Amino acid sequence: MAQFVQPALNSPAHRRPLMPRVKRLATRTLLTISLIVIGLAFLLPFYWMVVSSLRPISEWYARPMPLILQSPTLENYILLFQRADFGRGALNTVFLCILTVMTQVFFCSLAGYTFAKLNFKGRNGLFIFILATMMIPSGVGMIPNFIIMSRLHWVDTYLPLVVPGIANAFGIFWMRQYCQSIPDELLDAARIDGCGEFGIFWRVVLPVIKPALASLAIFVFLATWNDFLSPLVFLRSPDKFTIQLWLSVVSRQANIFQPHLVMAGSVLSSIPILIVFATLQRYFMAGLTAGSLK
Amino acid sequence: MTAIPTTTGITHRPKPWWRNPYPYIFISPFYILFVLFGLGPIIFSLVVSMYDWRGVRPGDFIFLENYITLFKEPNFYKSLANTVYIWLGTVPVMIFLALVFAVLLNSKLVRWRGAFRTVYFLPVVTSLIITGLIFASLFSTSYGLANNILTHFGLEPVQWLSDSRYMKLILILAILWRWTGNDMVIMLAGLQSIPMEIYEAARVDGANEVQNFWHITVPLMIPVILFDLIISTIGTFNLFEEPYALFGGPGGGVRGAALVTGLYLYSNAFVNARFGFGSSIAWVLAAIIFALSMIQLKVGSRKIQ
Repeated sequence: MAQFVQPALNSPAHRRPLMPRVKRLATRTLLTISLIVIGLAFLLPFYWMVVSSLRPISEWYARPMPLILQSPTLENYILLFQRADFGRGALNTVFLCILTVMTQVFFCSLAGYTFAKLNFKGRNGLFIFILATMMIPSGVGMIPNFIIMSRLHWVDTYLPLVVPGIANAFGIFWMRQYCQSIPDELLDAARIDGCGEFGIFWRVVLPVIKPALASLAIFVFLATWNDFLSPLVFLRSPDKFTIQLWLSVVSRQANIFQPHLVMAGSVLSSIPILIVFATLQRYFMAGLTAGSLK
Repeated sequence: MTAIPTTTGITHRPKPWWRNPYPYIFISPFYILFVLFGLGPIIFSLVVSMYDWRGVRPGDFIFLENYITLFKEPNFYKSLANTVYIWLGTVPVMIFLALVFAVLLNSKLVRWRGAFRTVYFLPVVTSLIITGLIFASLFSTSYGLANNILTHFGLEPVQWLSDSRYMKLILILAILWRWTGNDMVIMLAGLQSIPMEIYEAARVDGANEVQNFWHITVPLMIPVILFDLIISTIGTFNLFEEPYALFGGPGGGVRGAALVTGLYLYSNAFVNARFGFGSSIAWVLAAIIFALSMIQLKVGSRKIQ
């Protein structure tokens, strides 16, 4: 718990007497060790998830259960793939993610670009209104939304999971921030060439904002992939379940012993997320803080 | 707002909407959806909360009776008390840890900062259901890691997930694991706005790092801490997936020891299909969240001055 602002240890300009340097080295080592211990604590649940997924069914029943895996096996994963419902859940989730990503990226970038680059009456007021809607507590709308969806006969379809979020405040805000850096000359040139307003967006703007489109796509993908409450409320038939729903249903079947399947399923459903996160970490962290600081 | 300068230096007045409707067409999806699925449902929810609405069909208009029933319902107070307990166990701890981690992982004295940031942040991308399931497995009575360690040392296994003394504790642990990294990243972003010269000046005055933390970092980070505090408070009142997965459903486990407000709202609305009563819960919770946010903002802005 300290804020260190001194230049690097071996900077010649700041070479200091021996004792403080020893003290610094000691602090530094102690800090590194504590951070590693905390890091291991953060990793422990992941370790346990992976180990459990590789534990053969015989070891689950052994008492005391060996803490170190005796004979790791892939049999839980094979069992998982033999169950049609798991594959179905995975495919459903992928399908749902494609729907939400495509629609949200399109409509949010269209609106974000409009707020950033087009000139129209009431622009600022309309944009502030969008920001203000982010403060509204979402829980209040849940029950009436369910009533509306059931009147529309949308319950047990993916429509309630896709349509309301198509053009959302965060996405529009995110795309607007990025679109502000598009040079006006580019748009004016296209206008002089006789390009229509939508044509400018489709042919000129979209290609130059690809990085922002990609990062918005990541947020939408993660949010959809991990979402649980909306699928729980709106989906009914097991053949439409998403992976998260499948996991919770299988884990709740108390009369059947299948935590090995739950853990293997958890590992598999975390893998796409971790790959996306590992490759695009920079964009992800930037997005997390975009809402908080100006 | 009427004239916006372009980079070419020419200012032009926006055309009226009937001559250039495109901007309005391009932004219209948000407003249409907001009316249909945002504002509409919120107004509708106020109406629903005044009906004895069970299932899809509205029942009788009963005005404030749902609210009166709610305030007489012992389970509502239980869920509030549990939520406050979880709040006390998570939010202050999480904000302190997140700030400490952020300061450390922002300091040039620490090696492998990038790697530590990634590891501390990793739980944040894990799904909430999986978080609950992993902790349920760690603390399972028969095959959990915790009890295995206990029995290896010859101690009695503990009923972590069905003994009311421990249930909330496990939930608190799961929340701390899942969310601390989230707050840490927000704190890290906030730290970038503190000018280095302040620390330089303090160093010349002979202040040590712990003094710097309490007398420079914390006061200057109060706006960010406040932001974290408010979103974490809202999050605690909406807590749902973690206890759902940990205790096998929306009931909050044995004797509802982990029944938090999010579960209470869900089970009344969607398990018992009491839409009217459920809407009154949603409104009371929204009012509590709003009041708490206002208090935090008031106290916080006084601290900033």
